[in-house]
Amino acid sequence: MNIYVKILIIVGVILLAPIVGGLLSGIDRRITARMQNRFGPPLLQPFYDFFKLMGKERIAVNQTQMVYVLGYLLFAVASLIMFVMRQDLLMLIFILAFSNISIIMGAMSVRSPFSKIGAQREIIQMMAYEPVLLLMVVGIFLTTKSFMIESVFTHSRPLIYDLPLVFAAFIFILTIKLRKSPFDFSTSHHGHQELVKGLTTEFSGPQLALIELTHWYELILILGLISLFFAKPIWVGIIIALACYFLEFVIDNISARMTWKWMLKITWLVGIGAAITNIAWLYLKR
Amino acid sequence: MDFLTERGFFVEGIFLILAAILLPAAGAALSYVIKKSSIRNCIVVITSIAMMVVSSYFAYVLYKNGGQMVIETEKIPFDLGWIIKLIDIALLVYIVFLGFKLKNILVWVLAGIQLAVTVGFEVFNKVVEPHAAFVIDYLSLIMLLLSSIIGPLIIIFATGYMKEHEEHQHLKKSRQPKFFFVLFIFLAAMNALAVSNNIMWFYLFWEVTTLCSFLLISHDGSEMAIKNATRALVLNMAGGVAFIFGIVVLYKVTGTLSLQDISMFQTTGAVKGLVPLGLALLCFAGFTKSAQFPFQSWLLGAMVAPTPVSALLHSSTMVKAGVYLVVRIAPAFSGTILGHVVAFVGGFTFMAASALAISQRNGKKVLAYSTIANLGLIICCAGIGTHVALGAAILLIIFHAISKGLLFLCVGTIEHGIGSRDIEDMQGLMKKMPFTTVITVIGMISMLLPPFGVLITKWMAIEASVNLPIVLIPIIIGSAFTVVFWAKWIGIILTMSYKVKHPVEKLPFSTKATLSILVAGVLAASVGIIPLFNKLISPELGIFKLVDKLGLVGEKGGVWMTNGTTTITGGFASLPFFLIIFALMFTIPFFLYKTKPDNIKPPYVCGELANDDIRGIEFMGPMDKIENSVVHNYYFKGVLGENKLTLWTNLVAIASILIMFGVVVK
Repeated sequence: MNIYVKILIIVGVILLAPIVGGLLSGIDRRITARMQNRFGPPLLQPFYDFFKLMGKERIAVNQTQMVYVLGYLLFAVASLIMFVMRQDLLMLIFILAFSNISIIMGAMSVRSPFSKIGAQREIIQMMAYEPVLLLMVVGIFLTTKSFMIESVFTHSRPLIYDLPLVFAAFIFILTIKLRKSPFDFSTSHHGHQELVKGLTTEFSGPQLALIELTHWYELILILGLISLFFAKPIWVGIIIALACYFLEFVIDNISARMTWKWMLKITWLVGIGAAITNIAWLYLKR
Repeated sequence: MDFLTERGFFVEGIFLILAAILLPAAGAALSYVIKKSSIRNCIVVITSIAMMVVSSYFAYVLYKNGGQMVIETEKIPFDLGWIIKLIDIALLVYIVFLGFKLKNILVWVLAGIQLAVTVGFEVFNKVVEPHAAFVIDYLSLIMLLLSSIIGPLIIIFATGYMKEHEEHQHLKKSRQPKFFFVLFIFLAAMNALAVSNNIMWFYLFWEVTTLCSFLLISHDGSEMAIKNATRALVLNMAGGVAFIFGIVVLYKVTGTLSLQDISMFQTTGAVKGLVPLGLALLCFAGFTKSAQFPFQSWLLGAMVAPTPVSALLHSSTMVKAGVYLVVRIAPAFSGTILGHVVAFVGGFTFMAASALAISQRNGKKVLAYSTIANLGLIICCAGIGTHVALGAAILLIIFHAISKGLLFLCVGTIEHGIGSRDIEDMQGLMKKMPFTTVITVIGMISMLLPPFGVLITKWMAIEASVNLPIVLIPIIIGSAFTVVFWAKWIGIILTMSYKVKHPVEKLPFSTKATLSILVAGVLAASVGIIPLFNKLISPELGIFKLVDKLGLVGEKGGVWMTNGTTTITGGFASLPFFLIIFALMFTIPFFLYKTKPDNIKPPYVCGELANDDIRGIEFMGPMDKIENSVVHNYYFKGVLGENKLTLWTNLVAIASILIMFGVVVK
């Protein structure tokens, strides 16, 4: 790839990802509202929220909060760039983890019981889903013999044929990663519960706007990771990724929040179990 | 090479080796004799700087000579072999005597066995000494640089630290002369061990480090210190017994005492009969010294010693001797069943130690478990024994030594500052010790997050172990645990009060200087991973002559691996990410400056904050009573506590070590 094309792609992704991500989360809110027999906000509501938050007064609870938010944003963007540049998938997962650690640090930097507990729970969530993500990378390596995302596109057939259980495990942890019910215990969706807003309680104004922006980048990256399993032709991957996203709304709306102990147990048993089972047969087949 | 230059090179080499060993020994003797602390501190600093200079010159000479320096036994003008044998016997006799003094039957029995075998093997048996007495390659150079740069830095730190430490203890007579004496002897032994090719000599210096660590752990003289030091001695003596038996077995089968030959066994086709057993015995010795499960208790107990001792044991000396031995002989069992079992022992230790670290509130104990985990990962990589794995192992030796040396010194400084090593007491540390806090956080981040070196080695370890599921799964689960215990601790340290305050921290100059140099080293090593890789790791992997075809290159802003052809199968450009990190670091002062005090508001406590003037964690409870909110980290003591987990992890570890011996005995 030519260097100019590369720069063009990177700039394009940086600009387009939040627009698509914002629209998708607007659709999310509409559909969720319909499922709950409400009318719901306009489609562009996430953008209205974003600009309104950006214009708010810069209130902070301590002087360094903004640094953590920037770390969260920049490393999420960096991992998305690694994705479109088709770099090492394992490292991408680690960079994404850096982004997440950054926001956890931001929440823990405040002496507030709500954000501290939210941060602790977020750490537990990471402990739950990180092994599954790493096992997913291993599964992809065993299929394509390479860690580079590039290899998925040159591989002869879609990954889903070799990695059905790994894909299932990945979809399972997606609910945690997108902070949806039954696993939304680090930031509850509804501000009046025992955690208030957990992780993000102490962020306000532009900080909160940037956190929202990061969520959009993350969403696009996650949908991209789903589509990897169906790559070639790429549009099939995109359609299936969107279908999975819709599935998440449904799960979000039909389930209640569970405890973190339950989540840890079920993710490790079902998620890691399924991924290891899949990987086991790949080894034996070699 | 004509005769003169060859002669000149030989003289240069032997002088350098003598300087690397005798310089710290001289420093030791002087520190012991001189009772006036200001003069002794001067001597300590001068010796330390001289050691750094000698080791840098070593690097220069090694590169000038194309990466390998060999000093032949025959050319050494005096009979070094007999001197070393005599020191060896004297040392073992002393340890037997120590066993009687401590009234510990295990110590004197284990030392006695070693004494008997050594005397029987070396004195009553004509042993063919290896052709090369000293071989210095890149791996030896790395060990030498670590122990002659980080070690002296820790000793300089100790000059300031021990003064305060003894003030806390209210000692009548300073015990520092003996303390610095042992520290320097320790470094001399590490340097000697790094350059020795004769495995009997290596064994002597190995035992010297065991004895030194006993003396250092028991330094404070309390009942606890003596008890823990004795345990360290017993476990390391057990390793010593395995070591000497390993040497005898290998010599009986192959007739060589050269470490270089041993590591080449696979290429020379010398692996036959009992050779795998000999290798397994050496690995066992490495496990005890590197505190692998089930031998971890001695390293955990070692934290009763003053902080510089922990820093030294955990970073560049002692535990690194164990992994050095295993990495050194790794090519001999690369790709065999023995290698896979060794990899499992290391991988399992990585997982178990990381899990146990989650349950600890004591900062030093978290660091200790993290050390054990990282050593496990190094041994795991050595066991896997491919290009990528051994590259990761050597890189991790470097990165871990710098970061962990720094972190122990930081925790020691914090402990003196706030009077506690409990993680929960470190909340709001920024308000009291901003300088130490920033450095500690950088040190911790370097252990955990990309693009820093330790994470890169973890990434390499996972990519190297994909073909070995039994090793891969513990590494993956272990790295999830790693995130938990570091993130919890960093979060506590970074907790800031909403009140603006800019305190000035007062620290001794020696503390400030060493912490600054080490943190610069942490950053430099991680940023400079490409030259580090190309100049030190890559040529060493060439010397190892491994069988697997995977290639590993450092270029284009990172480290890349190929599958033997030109196709890149994995890689990471770490340099661009440092730009993001540094950009973020520079925004911190910007936001500190820009945030107006008026815009700083107390945190949200359900809108029931009692009073804006207090710390922002008291809220109005029912009946207008002021309640205090306390939030602790989760520690999962019920599942991951030491009393729940240690027994089971030890059982698994013992079983896997038995399996290791089971697979080699025919």
